[in-house]
Amino acid sequence: MVSDNFRHQLRQEAKLWRAEGLINEDLYQQLSERYQFYSLETAASNRFIAILTGLGGILIGLAAITFVAANWQFWSREFKVALLLSLFIGVNATGFYLWRTPTGTAGKRDGWKQRLGHALLLLGAIILGANMALMSQMFHISGSPHGLYLVWGLGVLAMAYSLRLTSLGVLAMILMGSGYWLGVFDWRSKEEFSWLELLVQHMPVVASLLFVPLAYWCRSRAIFSLAAIGIVFSLETSLFQGSSVSPAWIAAIACALPPALLWGYDDTILPNIHSRWFQPLARTLALWFLGGMFYFCSFRWWENASSQQIEAAALLNWIPLLDVALLGGLTVWEWLYLARQGRKHPSRKGVDLTTNTIACFIAVSALIPLWHFSFSSIPLLATFAFNVLLFLLAAGLIQEGLALGNRGTFWGGMVLLVLQIISRMLEYDTGLLLKAFVFLLCGIGAIAAGLLFERYSSTLAPSKEN
Amino acid sequence: MTSNLDDSNKQLLPETPPADVSGETEPIISWEAPKKPLRAWRLWVPLLFQTVLIAAVPAPAFYTYVTGKTVTLQTAPVDPYDLLRGYSQTLGYDISSQDTLKTLPGWKDLPGHTSTCPPVEPPAKSTCTEEKSVEAGTSFYVIMEAPKSAAASGRPQPWKPVRVSRERPKNLPANQVAIKGKYIGQSAEYGLETYYIPEDQREQINNDINLAQRRQPGQNTQAIPFVVEAKVDAQGNAVPVSLWVRERKYRF
Repeated sequence: MVSDNFRHQLRQEAKLWRAEGLINEDLYQQLSERYQFYSLETAASNRFIAILTGLGGILIGLAAITFVAANWQFWSREFKVALLLSLFIGVNATGFYLWRTPTGTAGKRDGWKQRLGHALLLLGAIILGANMALMSQMFHISGSPHGLYLVWGLGVLAMAYSLRLTSLGVLAMILMGSGYWLGVFDWRSKEEFSWLELLVQHMPVVASLLFVPLAYWCRSRAIFSLAAIGIVFSLETSLFQGSSVSPAWIAAIACALPPALLWGYDDTILPNIHSRWFQPLARTLALWFLGGMFYFCSFRWWENASSQQIEAAALLNWIPLLDVALLGGLTVWEWLYLARQGRKHPSRKGVDLTTNTIACFIAVSALIPLWHFSFSSIPLLATFAFNVLLFLLAAGLIQEGLALGNRGTFWGGMVLLVLQIISRMLEYDTGLLLKAFVFLLCGIGAIAAGLLFERYSSTLAPSKEN
Repeated sequence: MTSNLDDSNKQLLPETPPADVSGETEPIISWEAPKKPLRAWRLWVPLLFQTVLIAAVPAPAFYTYVTGKTVTLQTAPVDPYDLLRGYSQTLGYDISSQDTLKTLPGWKDLPGHTSTCPPVEPPAKSTCTEEKSVEAGTSFYVIMEAPKSAAASGRPQPWKPVRVSRERPKNLPANQVAIKGKYIGQSAEYGLETYYIPEDQREQINNDINLAQRRQPGQNTQAIPFVVEAKVDAQGNAVPVSLWVRERKYRF
């Protein structure tokens, strides 16, 4: 992925190189072609206008819904159906034919058509939902709304795949996510078999199969992040639903599987993908998960959490665990692949060191709940261990951030560290004087670290700072 | 630029970039429309799929509406604060409440557990009665029977629940119909709980319903002059068709 910022800098540099005679006009043209310099000017304003037109499309969609709902009784059922369907098809078709106007050298002139077409396609996606909702209203269907969201999301997803549009993909994922959220907590809808229930029950695998290819197809980091978050969330939900099978193992898997899956993710494991587009993103998400989990587990929950309480749910529900097993198998394969890669390229020792550290983190965070729930209760040790893990992670992030001059990593570590200190201080009974002192130290520490980092990174990589 | 970008694999670049290169050397894919216009099927195939989905939403209800048998159901008072949700009317029925259902034969055979009364010493009398608590999420069928006497006025007489069954009963007599319900803990749902009404009439309908539901002391729920006509198909699925509030019929 190349950021706009990089392209801006590259264009500036390339112009300089051309002026200095370092590269010839031909090479400049090639660079310009490759990094689409011509679209840079309009990129920023395009994005702004795209957001505005998209918002406008959504508002017009809402207007259409309310208008039709307000005039409900005047029109016959057939007329309403015809009106809604023709609006739906008309908007989509107009949007498509405007949007597909080719961008060439005359790209700037035709830009408005594309933007308008894009907004109309978004509007069409919303009218699809309006159509479904109004259809169910006409027949007074009183079902839970999660099915509607899921079906709507599937419809939009089909369009996103076909047109390769990131915005539609994100909309589809939000819709299916809402559907899943409503469906999985709606305990009334259980028992009966339907393909929608099947979809909800096997969401971890369904999300992997539906959304991850879309991220590659659209080359979209946003879609990949949303997909990863969705998969992890549904995986945790499935684990929780199946927690009666073996609470200790389930708790261990719930702690270890998501970060292992994300950290071990390697794009080249997939067929026909030859470069690592999303691996850094997946690893960032793994670190986020680890940070969040360590922070959550560093509180004194452990005294109250015992395996007896969990076992009270006697229902033996193993079906959601099928998905867990599938993704677990994928994780094992990922790590075997990683190990093989490590052996093939012994020069990448530094990378392996980080991976080994993360592997240790994951192993420890799996072993603690396993031990706590199955052998003997170790509330004090568990709390202490997770605090140590949290501290190590934060320190590691700070160190990595300093070493690589990466601001995000550095500040992530700082935030974790400060959060840990303040949480422990508030959690345990400490005197006010000590509290004041700790706040003071944290504040001074954060400011000093920040200043230090900025100075350090500017000496480390002066080119990055301008 | 890395050494991977030599002339030999330049042509292959857009499809198969060389492995083990960091993201910087990837060809950029524009977020805008592709340079070559897309073929028309790229729109029409997913659009057809979406249209099929739109049609699939009301299809089961439409089937019930066309093939179903008309049944009249007695409503029960609903919480007045819960009356309006958007432009829809929340309906509760006589057969929705657990109190009605547990008096019917067959209720005790549904899956669940029965509370047992603690043994009492002979002189004392046990005040405890055995309670059947049915598992939430259990689906069942309520068999309704048509009233024997025809309606005196315009408003049809409500049908009476006869029994409850776990399995769908076959070969019911002509005056009986089985409605599929789902027990959700304390009450049951039949897919008949929502009725959408136009915005400008909801005030009037609400007032009408409130008036109908205002009970005189000593009057039982059976007497509420508010019934719902629904269609029930052979599978037991039901859709509401019209409301009868006192002597007025509403149908939307």
